[in-house]
Amino acid sequence: MIFAHPTYRPGPVVWAANIAATCVVLFAFQRILWLVIPFVLALLIYYALLPLKLRLVLRGRSHDTAAAWVSVIAFSLMGALLLIGLPSVVGEAVSWQESAARYLDGGLHLLSNLLKQLEGRFSLFAKAHVSRALSQEVARFSAHFAEKYLPAIAMGIASWSPSLLLGPFIAFFMLRDGWRFRRFLIRAVPNAYFERCLNLMSQVDRTARLYFVGLMKLTLLDTCCLAGGLWLIGVSAPLLLGVLTAVLAWIPYIGSILGCLLVILVAATDFPSDPSVVYAALGLFIVVRLLDDFIFMPMTVGKSLNMHPLLTVLMIFVGGAVAGVPGLMLVLPVLGIIMVLGETIGQLLTDRRLRARHKHAQALQHRLVMRDLELP
Amino acid sequence: MKWFARSPRNRYRHRLAGSDLFGKLSDRDLRTVEGFLHYRSYLAGEVVFDAGEIGQALYIVLTGKVAICLPGKIDRPLAELGEKEFFGELGMLDDIARTAQVRALLPSEIAVLYRDDFEKLMQAHGVIASQIALELARHLGRRLRQMLLQQGRAAEQ
Repeated sequence: MIFAHPTYRPGPVVWAANIAATCVVLFAFQRILWLVIPFVLALLIYYALLPLKLRLVLRGRSHDTAAAWVSVIAFSLMGALLLIGLPSVVGEAVSWQESAARYLDGGLHLLSNLLKQLEGRFSLFAKAHVSRALSQEVARFSAHFAEKYLPAIAMGIASWSPSLLLGPFIAFFMLRDGWRFRRFLIRAVPNAYFERCLNLMSQVDRTARLYFVGLMKLTLLDTCCLAGGLWLIGVSAPLLLGVLTAVLAWIPYIGSILGCLLVILVAATDFPSDPSVVYAALGLFIVVRLLDDFIFMPMTVGKSLNMHPLLTVLMIFVGGAVAGVPGLMLVLPVLGIIMVLGETIGQLLTDRRLRARHKHAQALQHRLVMRDLELP
Repeated sequence: MKWFARSPRNRYRHRLAGSDLFGKLSDRDLRTVEGFLHYRSYLAGEVVFDAGEIGQALYIVLTGKVAICLPGKIDRPLAELGEKEFFGELGMLDDIARTAQVRALLPSEIAVLYRDDFEKLMQAHGVIASQIALELARHLGRRLRQMLLQQGRAAEQ
């Protein structure tokens, strides 16, 4: 007799548990955000460096040596870039401030012009004096900006910098000891569940790897498209703008809006008398977003999660409601991993044969240890 | 990190070196492969895997003895495998259900090569993976010849 192991399909209970668990995890993440952000950064570094480490291991180096070599080379490069770049960044900070003010003025000028045009065409806007109200609000905001917001921003940067430095540190230990930790966990699993757990770990690892590698590929594709398009239109610093908007797109919805605003600000400042460039930049941004949602995303990140689009969108809203911006960013990878975990736990709990095998192994163990304890 | 650092790898290296599957690998290649293996201990009578289960791993007997049998027919095993022999290769190669049950006859130490790890080996170190794949192919060929011979004898009788 062959014991049938029917194909397992998670039911509504498992799905509800997955969604509830995702919300709980996101809520907990919000409480320890200072650790979650460096951990996510460490995961990005880890998955970027892992193929290099694997190559060294397969060339006969030990895991420790390979991790050390890869980390030393990568972190030296990062350190060198920081050392070279930091003085020029600090040197140009003043000009950046001027540029920021200039771009903000350019954006406000564009907005003011638009509102004036609307006031000229619609009496409702003219009666409300929208343009004047906006100018007053902006003047009030600019007057108190430094005293109100700058200390909080400076404190935020000061408090986040040390925790961000944790990222490379965690990444190094993930590279060096990740495989040992995996084995350590696997060793604790009873024989009956061993293969299923190997499968589970492999799937979790694959989901996380595909997600983070997909995210990096998506960022590269977005950067190339945006930078290329902006360069063709003639907007200044297209590469920097492309990188910034692509990175901002990591935050669903809000990031895209911020990126769009940034592109419009720069285009409006570079060409104050030519609104067609602004419209072209806006059009480019919309085209890239559409490409992103319908072609790039399914090709890169979407593949890793294998989720229904409706569920994806709903979960993004739930993530945002539960944990704000970090929730928006983390909800999809967290749900992806919890789905794999939930499915496997559901599979283990409903498989009576595996449980019976585990009990049998325990009975054998019990018999073995009791062998010479029983009196004749 | 020493508290989870030490696995019984060195203890089994010479056994792996003499195994049917890894016997032709150099010491350096063997050390590479060791990084991808898991080690399990089974009590006498314990089930390693069941017939009908979807398996994705190949098992190499390091110490002890296992029996391949139809479920519930441990007294009439299809085959008995001892040290250095391996089983479960079809599960590792393809997504098919295990065709028989495997039980430990004696307390056994078994090394396990999981499919994903074998694929990593194939992607990144073709030489080692091709040597293992060649041994697997030879093993499957030998088994096919045995089956044909048995069928021929049965037909003659």
